[in-house]
Amino acid sequence: MALLEVEGLTRFFGGLRAVGDLSFAVREGEILGLIGPNGAGKTTVFNLVTGFLRPSRGEVRLDGRSVAGRKPHAVARRGIARTFQIVKPFPGLSVKENVTLAAFLRHRRRAGAEEAALAVLDRLGLSQRAATRAGELTLMEQKRLEMARALATEPRVLLLDEPMGGLNPSEVDVASELVDGIRRSGVTVVLVEHVMKAIMRISDRVLVMHHGEKIAEGPPAEVVRDPAVISAYFGQGRA
Amino acid sequence: MGALYAMIGIGLTIVFGVMRIINLAHGEMVMLGMFAAFFSQKLWGFDPFLSILVWAPVMFAAGVLVYRFLLRKILPGGELNTLLYTAGLSLLVANLALLAFSGDYRTITLQYAVAPMRPLGIAVPVALAIGFGVAVVLTLALWLFLGRTDLGRAIRATSQNREAAVLMGIDVERVAAVSFGLGTALAGAAGVLLAPSLYLYPTVGELVIVKSFVIVVLGGLGSVPGAIAGGLLLGTVESLGAVYVSSTYKDGLGYVIFLAVLLYRPSGIFGVGKS
Amino acid sequence: MRGRAGAAAWAVAAAAAAALPLAVKNSFFLHVCILVLLWTALGEAWNVLGGYAGQVSFGHAALFGFGAYVTAILYLKAGVAPWWGIPLGGAAAAAVSVPTGLIAFRLRGPYFSLATLAVAELAKLVALNWEWATNGPTGFLITSLPPLTLFGFAVNWESKAPFYLAALALAAVSMGAAAALSRSRLGAFLVAIRENEDAAEAVGIDTVRAKVLTLALSGLLAGMGGGLYAFYFRYIDPDAVLNIGISMEMVFIAVVGGLGTVAGPLVGAVFLTAVGEAVRERFQVGHLVFYGLFMMLVIRYLPEGIWGRARGLAARAGEVRRGAARG
Repeated sequence: MALLEVEGLTRFFGGLRAVGDLSFAVREGEILGLIGPNGAGKTTVFNLVTGFLRPSRGEVRLDGRSVAGRKPHAVARRGIARTFQIVKPFPGLSVKENVTLAAFLRHRRRAGAEEAALAVLDRLGLSQRAATRAGELTLMEQKRLEMARALATEPRVLLLDEPMGGLNPSEVDVASELVDGIRRSGVTVVLVEHVMKAIMRISDRVLVMHHGEKIAEGPPAEVVRDPAVISAYFGQGRA
Repeated sequence: MGALYAMIGIGLTIVFGVMRIINLAHGEMVMLGMFAAFFSQKLWGFDPFLSILVWAPVMFAAGVLVYRFLLRKILPGGELNTLLYTAGLSLLVANLALLAFSGDYRTITLQYAVAPMRPLGIAVPVALAIGFGVAVVLTLALWLFLGRTDLGRAIRATSQNREAAVLMGIDVERVAAVSFGLGTALAGAAGVLLAPSLYLYPTVGELVIVKSFVIVVLGGLGSVPGAIAGGLLLGTVESLGAVYVSSTYKDGLGYVIFLAVLLYRPSGIFGVGKS
Repeated sequence: MRGRAGAAAWAVAAAAAAALPLAVKNSFFLHVCILVLLWTALGEAWNVLGGYAGQVSFGHAALFGFGAYVTAILYLKAGVAPWWGIPLGGAAAAAVSVPTGLIAFRLRGPYFSLATLAVAELAKLVALNWEWATNGPTGFLITSLPPLTLFGFAVNWESKAPFYLAALALAAVSMGAAAALSRSRLGAFLVAIRENEDAAEAVGIDTVRAKVLTLALSGLLAGMGGGLYAFYFRYIDPDAVLNIGISMEMVFIAVVGGLGTVAGPLVGAVFLTAVGEAVRERFQVGHLVFYGLFMMLVIRYLPEGIWGRARGLAARAGEVRRGAARG
């Protein structure tokens, strides 16, 4: 049984169908890449899975138990964490406090939460900046903070929404390493990304969306050659 | 009454649409208009309805000044700070008025408006009817302004998408100042028109502001036609409510509808508002 | 001031404050003090929701008024003495705030604020019209207070002293509650919600529960303030306890004093109430004019409030001193 299962997931906004009858499964320990042209519905899928949006139809299951339609904090409690495409730090608080707040989910007392937070910061190389106000970090640091915060909730599945956005090539490499490191620590990852280099390098499988539907799924090398995928990105007549 | 509500509502909604400012002092601007009409009649014998020609531009200028010198510096602080700031302004103006004019209730009496008109057998107070007429004319003028003139279109553009407006070369700061002036002028004008029909007292702003928000939310924040519709709707509901339910419950009805719309259709009954 | 030294300092200040009526007999001065303390409590009540959680309510008068009415009705209709009635009034306000919050908190930011405005106005309308419960516009008049002996002394309800001490107690409780909240896990969650509500949800914070709990605390404090008001002024009617001016005053005191700080509302209350009462003595009306003015000045120049800025300056001065000592 897959760790995360999505079945027939559908979401309408008025008359617009943002996500249509989407089904996929994520196996424990894998990195699943989610790609597709802009407006394909990728972030909407994340919002649906993590409870920021209610599905119009369909089912989302973690470890066999349904999480569809639950509020985001409940989904986080169950074990699905996420980062945001446009980072959402707690700007006035220190880096350490940002992560400690997330750690409170699994550690009732402040002492325990702070300890866990510092450990996560260490893993992500942010220990030096622990006392800095989150609003003053560089973009790369803020992205790491997003990940640290999500990891502090000790999730089974981590959804990363365009973590490489706005990073230069060497930063992309560093970020890719980080994501791989996260997987090696036992967290399953679903990654939305436009930076193809990263997706191809670290994903075990890739799922392609277009107009809210799945149009291809499989190992990266295969998907990239799929004619449906190519025409989705480049238009007809190029396959 | 609905048309006058609409005027006030339009002013508020334009200000929100262009600058995302929720101006809590809007009610005080209506109050100032009312008192302006009162005093210009008392001191100089101006007919209140004609005095609009004087007071509307004055209020416009006042609005632009308030924007330029007071509000502009506050805007970067965020919506909440601006909201609190206008709350402070509202209290300041209302209390200055209290100090200057005392809390006594005042009324304006017009020689030609004592007996009600009776079109179709329904008694309509003359002052209100004239106010309605002028309001309709002004609203039409505003509609033409927004629709036909360059400046009007600039205002609508900025309201819809500020960044795009900047990119198109629209002087957004000027548009903002004009919009605020316009909003203030509309409020003041509505006050002038209302003055002959209502009791005047410095804290009337409190009453006005809540109703204004009901209208603006009903019609959709930022939408001028919405504000018109909202104003007319509220005016009708209140009048009908006063007749059929009871005059005390009519206010309550407005608030309940307001809350319902906020919760279930935040873009207004017609779905055209912005959040 | 932190830790043990800070707490000790507050304790000394409280003791000194409690002894004040022994030294000062001026009735007007005590009256102003009572108002300052009452508004401190109300400011803390608002600040808990508005400053810490960032949910700006313009309708807190509803909680204040509800507490006032419950306390008055319990006393006049059921003979419940004030020292039970006031906490009960607070509890009632807290209870009624929960369902209201569950609905209102579906809204965010300015929409929430506007909704609170409407709720408060509705509360006033209800009070005006449900005469069977609230006596409508006539309100309630408390002609006499129950006899009470403490430590062998019969309490003289005609003097200001007992009310002063009651107000002091309420202010102390409010400040204590705010302090406890700021150090608690819930307090940290509130700050997270204020900084970024979506992110707070994403890291597992139940934002609705946090906000509702905070609102209940806020209602408890505001309701108790209302009860105290009822017994001190001895007369309540919808216009006195449910008007929008009271909601605004609470906001102003918290903002001018310092949002999200424990001492802020105290500073704000001292400042604004003192100035306000002085104006009221002189001019009778328009006493809120300085509230408006100071609010504008504070937002423009001192967004952290008077106390907030003072704390910031003290912290920087401390750093400079430490730097000089090291260097």
